[in-house]
Amino acid sequence: MEQEIRSSGPVRVQSSLCFSGALVDGPRIQQLLLHCAAALESNDVTLAQQAMWVLNNIASSQGDPNQRLTSSLLRGLVARACRTCGSPRGAGSMAAPLLGRRAMSVTELADYVDLTPWHRFGFTASNGAILRAVTGRDAVHVVDLGATRCMQWPTLIDALSKRPGGPPALRITVPSVRPAGPPLVGVSDEELGLRLANFAKSKGVQLEFNVVDNNNNSTNTPSSAPAKPLTLSQELLASVLSDPPALGLRDGEALVVNCQSWLRHVAPGSRDEFLDAVRALGPCLVTVTDEDADLDSPSLAARITGCFSFHWILFDALDTSAPRDSPRWLEHEAAVGQKIESVVGADDGERSESGARLADRMRRRGFAVVGFGDGEVEEVRQLLSEHATGWGVKREEDMLVLTWKGHAAVFTTAWAPN
Amino acid sequence: MASEAMSNPFAPLTNQQQLQQPSSHDHEHPPPPPAKKKRSLPGTPDPEAEVIALSPRTLMATNRFVCEICGKGFQRDQNLQLHRRGHNLPWKLKQRSGKEPRKRVYVCPEKTCVHNNPARALGDLTGIKKHFCRKHGEKKWKCDKCAKRYAVQSDWKAHSKTCGTREYRCDCGTLFSRRDSFITHRAFCDALAEETARITAANSGAAAAGQGYLFAGSAPAGMAVRPHSMMLPPPAAAHLIRPAGGQMLGHTAGAVGDMLCEGAAARHGGLSLWGGENTLPSSMGMQHIGGLLSSGGAGAPMPPQMYADLFAPTSAGAPQQFDMAQLSWMYGNSGGSGKLSSSNASELTTNSSREADSAPSVFSGQQHAKPAAPPADMSATALLQRAAQIGSVTSSNNATMPVMGAFEPAPKSAARDEERNKFFFGASQHNANVSGAMSELTAATGSMPYDLFSAARHAGLKDAVGREETRDFLGVGMQALCSSSIHGWI
Repeated sequence: MEQEIRSSGPVRVQSSLCFSGALVDGPRIQQLLLHCAAALESNDVTLAQQAMWVLNNIASSQGDPNQRLTSSLLRGLVARACRTCGSPRGAGSMAAPLLGRRAMSVTELADYVDLTPWHRFGFTASNGAILRAVTGRDAVHVVDLGATRCMQWPTLIDALSKRPGGPPALRITVPSVRPAGPPLVGVSDEELGLRLANFAKSKGVQLEFNVVDNNNNSTNTPSSAPAKPLTLSQELLASVLSDPPALGLRDGEALVVNCQSWLRHVAPGSRDEFLDAVRALGPCLVTVTDEDADLDSPSLAARITGCFSFHWILFDALDTSAPRDSPRWLEHEAAVGQKIESVVGADDGERSESGARLADRMRRRGFAVVGFGDGEVEEVRQLLSEHATGWGVKREEDMLVLTWKGHAAVFTTAWAPN
Repeated sequence: MASEAMSNPFAPLTNQQQLQQPSSHDHEHPPPPPAKKKRSLPGTPDPEAEVIALSPRTLMATNRFVCEICGKGFQRDQNLQLHRRGHNLPWKLKQRSGKEPRKRVYVCPEKTCVHNNPARALGDLTGIKKHFCRKHGEKKWKCDKCAKRYAVQSDWKAHSKTCGTREYRCDCGTLFSRRDSFITHRAFCDALAEETARITAANSGAAAAGQGYLFAGSAPAGMAVRPHSMMLPPPAAAHLIRPAGGQMLGHTAGAVGDMLCEGAAARHGGLSLWGGENTLPSSMGMQHIGGLLSSGGAGAPMPPQMYADLFAPTSAGAPQQFDMAQLSWMYGNSGGSGKLSSSNASELTTNSSREADSAPSVFSGQQHAKPAAPPADMSATALLQRAAQIGSVTSSNNATMPVMGAFEPAPKSAARDEERNKFFFGASQHNANVSGAMSELTAATGSMPYDLFSAARHAGLKDAVGREETRDFLGVGMQALCSSSIHGWI
């Protein structure tokens, strides 16, 4: 396998990246991964195993970002291989140890979310757009399809409380079934709502918090079909969004649908349907925030390349925000690892779509872009200035993009139905 | 690209494959051409990009903006432009050449660095310079106020400007330098839950001092644990005293003392309730209560009001099984002269039997609110739940309270209750109204505590849906106590 051998030279610091005398760096790891993927797709088990063996020697869940990325990708590939070969086991022994992860408390989650601007970038911009969209409205209803357990809302509530003319009555609704994943949070939705309502009250904002049970499909599965759990998007489509009464929409409310790191969980083939359902609810604003990467190609190789090229960004940013292997750092890493495994290893896993393509899709489904004002951009810049140097924001005609050292990381957009 | 890679995974990389750079343009470039520039996907190589690898010395010496006439280099574009003017160029040449220069990307000279990989190159010379300095350079610049060190002077300057200038402190003690983080943390922090409960209690006024009794057991000394489980289940007290981590417990202990002291303070209203009572004698002699009152206990870091929300007024609509007596006992002291008549105690005693089913309800809610969080969270959550329930029952109060009638001859009309309750809630919303609320309430027939009773009743009843747990007299199960200090309150 060692067709390429670099001559002499001192072994670098990351000696584990030196395999049989060959310096295995990023591009080569990527090639190996692609090789492995190709082998899997053509059912060349022997070749796949060989590639995996090499990768396993390179990958390390304790190494540098490249190694960790490789480790996650490898786990995804192994999971896929097991599935292909009919083995009922999942990632098995290669799975990253859970490290005895205990569930976070809600304040720990707040701390997690704010380690880098990765999430708050979207929060700040979306909340700004929401504020603008509900000017003059007395009742606001936010349907929160988000992955960060309501961490977005305290700042919105704070801003609403200072609105000239007084705050509106606010309702926040969340679906009971959400993408689960690192970080694990040991707090129920009800408790979150309670705390949020209490906070709102302290700010003079009336808040009603509801959890919509969108897990009511078990009774609908035909008896002949095996009990296959529905994917998240199926759940949502089947229950929450196509059942407006479940959401309890009320007349006179300004409805806002907030999709934060959500669309990637909706199967690519169902996204149009999902957006149509959202549009049918009659929202005054739909905010969409997600990672700016195309990881939804049907080609496994393309997805692997995409993951390798994109997820290093957060790893690199993490290194400047927390000591490597500190609890916060590991939690973030676990989240990335889980995403990678989902993209690569699962057939119905996460499939991120980049901002540019998402924008095209929104337009096709009858949404018009709501641009971000200078004030909002300024607020975002202010946020970024409070974090490590290296974060930037790019303003494009229909979205804002968070960049790390110039590389696009997260996009955020706001839309209104045509 | 992918196919190329797969054909010979171990072949040396060609130059093409090395050129992986998203064609993102940084903001300093001239505005993009009218045709919308399609952004490349991250990691997709821009085959046109030229990868520049400079040695550390050259890198740091290279300037980004170079005069095409004389080759002089500048750090900033403005300076270059100023310089160019000095060349007295004819107008035509003054304009920048329309042709966009070939895209250049830079790799970091440090071999072990992630940016050494062309796929992770940076498109901005200044960026790579700063990166190299930051990551691999010596941190010569040190902040005066904190321990942070920086290799890049501008980083150090930027930090010094904000270091220590803005600090937000949550009641729980955590410090934040970013407002957003502070707000988010505060929204979910236990400290807010407790403070809100405190404020709500303060607004409901009389409730405050009365709470003292509840916690009597938690303070050492005089707060002797009652043999009679009525007042304070000994286990409850024990749990309260237990130096568990929950901040609630600590506050409880302190609060007790405070409450007790306040209880003694004169606060009228509702005591007429007690004045004339003279029902069953009870094993709880006055001295017990007196003991409760007198033994101060530790100074309270937290005012007793924190628990008042439990008993804040709610609507009187629900059935009145809750032990009015018990509640009146709790509030009675706050109501007025601060003296407890034994009748109070007896009231409680008499109603003991009823408590079995009603009291549990007060606390049962906590069972459901139980997250995986430690006790501190639990109690804060429980508080919140109480507050929420109480708060949500704002003005639906419409029924009279016959039970209360039993305690006090003063006529009470539904309208009055409603008015009072509304008033309470209005007060609870805005601190400013507290004094107004208080005066109005005290000006009332003095049956203010009734509202509180009904509130507590309703609060309790809200959860009175078939609880299975075994509860003692006051509805405080051992289990419940373990999980929430709220349980120890009654």
